[in-house]
Amino acid sequence: MPAHADPPTPAPRTLHRRAAGYPRAPRVGRVLRAGARHAVLLAVAGAMLFPVLWALITSFKPANDIYGTDPVPWPASLEHYRSALDDFPIVRLLVNTFVMAAGVTLAQLTVGVLAGYALVRFHVPLRGWMMGALAVALVVPTQSLIVPHFLMLAELGWRDSYPGLVLPQLSGCALAVLLLHEHVKAIPAGLLGAAALEGATPWETLRFVVLPLLRPALGAVAVLVFISTWNEYLWPLLAAPSREHTTIQVGLQLFQNQEGPNPGPLLAAAMLATLPVVAVYLFASRRVADAFLHSGLR
Amino acid sequence: MSTTAVRTAPGRRAPDAPAGEPGAGTGARAARGRRTGRVGPWLYLTPMLASLVVWVYGPLVFTGVLSFLDWDLTSDRRPFVGLDNYERLFGEPEFPQAIQRTLLYVVLMVPFATFVPLGLAIMLWKRPGRGSEIYRALLFLPVVLAPVATAVSWQFVLNPLQGVANATLGGLGLGSDRNWLGDPDTALPVVVAVTAAKIVALNMLLFGAALAGIDRRGIEAARVEGATEWEITRFVVWPQLRRTTVLLGFVCVVLAGQWVFTNVAVLTQGGPDGSTDNVYHRLYTYGFTFFDIGAASAAAVVIVLALTALFALRVLAARVTRRFARARPR
Repeated sequence: MPAHADPPTPAPRTLHRRAAGYPRAPRVGRVLRAGARHAVLLAVAGAMLFPVLWALITSFKPANDIYGTDPVPWPASLEHYRSALDDFPIVRLLVNTFVMAAGVTLAQLTVGVLAGYALVRFHVPLRGWMMGALAVALVVPTQSLIVPHFLMLAELGWRDSYPGLVLPQLSGCALAVLLLHEHVKAIPAGLLGAAALEGATPWETLRFVVLPLLRPALGAVAVLVFISTWNEYLWPLLAAPSREHTTIQVGLQLFQNQEGPNPGPLLAAAMLATLPVVAVYLFASRRVADAFLHSGLR
Repeated sequence: MSTTAVRTAPGRRAPDAPAGEPGAGTGARAARGRRTGRVGPWLYLTPMLASLVVWVYGPLVFTGVLSFLDWDLTSDRRPFVGLDNYERLFGEPEFPQAIQRTLLYVVLMVPFATFVPLGLAIMLWKRPGRGSEIYRALLFLPVVLAPVATAVSWQFVLNPLQGVANATLGGLGLGSDRNWLGDPDTALPVVVAVTAAKIVALNMLLFGAALAGIDRRGIEAARVEGATEWEITRFVVWPQLRRTTVLLGFVCVVLAGQWVFTNVAVLTQGGPDGSTDNVYHRLYTYGFTFFDIGAASAAAVVIVLALTALFALRVLAARVTRRFARARPR
């Protein structure tokens, strides 16, 4: 898919019967049909989002009413947020998570751009084998690599460290490489040829021709990798098990064990854990959605 | 596998290596060009190759070796035991049950990867406008929500004693004492539901993209012929979405086990009675609860072999269908 593909446009209005000049259905049927449609969509949205919405509402309720069924948390109380921040190094965990996600994103993008470019620009021996190795690497589940990764980490003495959190997640670089390779391939060959004719070295071509054209694609892949790394649970659980060094996702689990049956602060912490990514989504929903669209499944 | 196949690039494609050796003329520049032409690729490819070797294929080989050893992570002795770990894996009831549960997850999950998001995407596509945009943004939200936060929220809502789910059911007179995550009959459906929200949301987006690329003339023609909306959906739209549906279904078969992992780990830890266990969680339990590295590695080998076989089968099937399609007279 080309680096500069248009975002998917909504279907044109002429698809719609009425706009195309077809007779309208009788009024009752129309209202019923629209009602049914909204009912289905609202039911699905409710089923998918209700628990998180309820947790959000509850996180503002006072402790003595935590299991109340009143959907309006009024008067709102911030006590759970306060006690979550007091009892647990949440800010520290958020910073850790950010460093890990940014580190993995940067590493995967670097690997992806270099390899994706080289696979298009040069005659690479064993190219087919490399593409095959990348495709198979996509299928290998991360869960099946945790034992050797863990042992390697222990050997290197990297537990509870940023390199230990970030580097093993390069095992997921195949997706970034393949996606960016597709995007480089979509750049017209003439541009690369012209750069070569002008005497640009391969590095200059990458730096001044390919990278600027690749910027939208890089943004999309970055969003995708960042969000999925932010939400990663298994690897931080093994690589950084201690309270100060782990990520917010694992921290929630530790927090739950620490707090026991008191759900208020836990829900508040859960909301803080998901807030940054949701905030990014709310401000740039179109771009985030496009990133997932162009970058496949995670 | 990426979903690049959902939207293929328009017919613009660069040759594999434009211009071959750049500046192949005379002078120092050309010489440099030729030299970097030979050394260059490896400079660019090394990070990728190193990542794959160090973090994917090396560890895979390592796992293969470990699966023949008996090792508890701490002792200095790790005797070679041949296929013992594999025999143990399939001799004890846990792993076969986990395999069976993994397949059950796949079966339950596939509709949420295919028909449910397909139906929703078509509903939104039929009525473009502000309302649909809002629904679309809302329904995509589960993809970006942190899984642990989502799981914690579900846990709270489903609290058997005071949760709002039981309170509501009790209010409706449907019994308010359901132990959702503690009952083998409901635990697995709950894990599926929690995971399904994310898959529905993601695949709805992908189906939406496929719908945007549909041939409009066919729809117009059908409409002129007096086809009903349902007939248009069934006979004009659906055939064009079949490939996307099959692809997303296959992706779900491969990835369903991984998708549920976090939810299993946070919500049930595989219980009650192993009813929500799957092979990934089993592997994790062997390795990091029992420190039985041999068994965990054997499980990893079995999983990777199964997935690779599935992948090869799919590639093979695609090749056969293509040949068949070419041979068929039009």
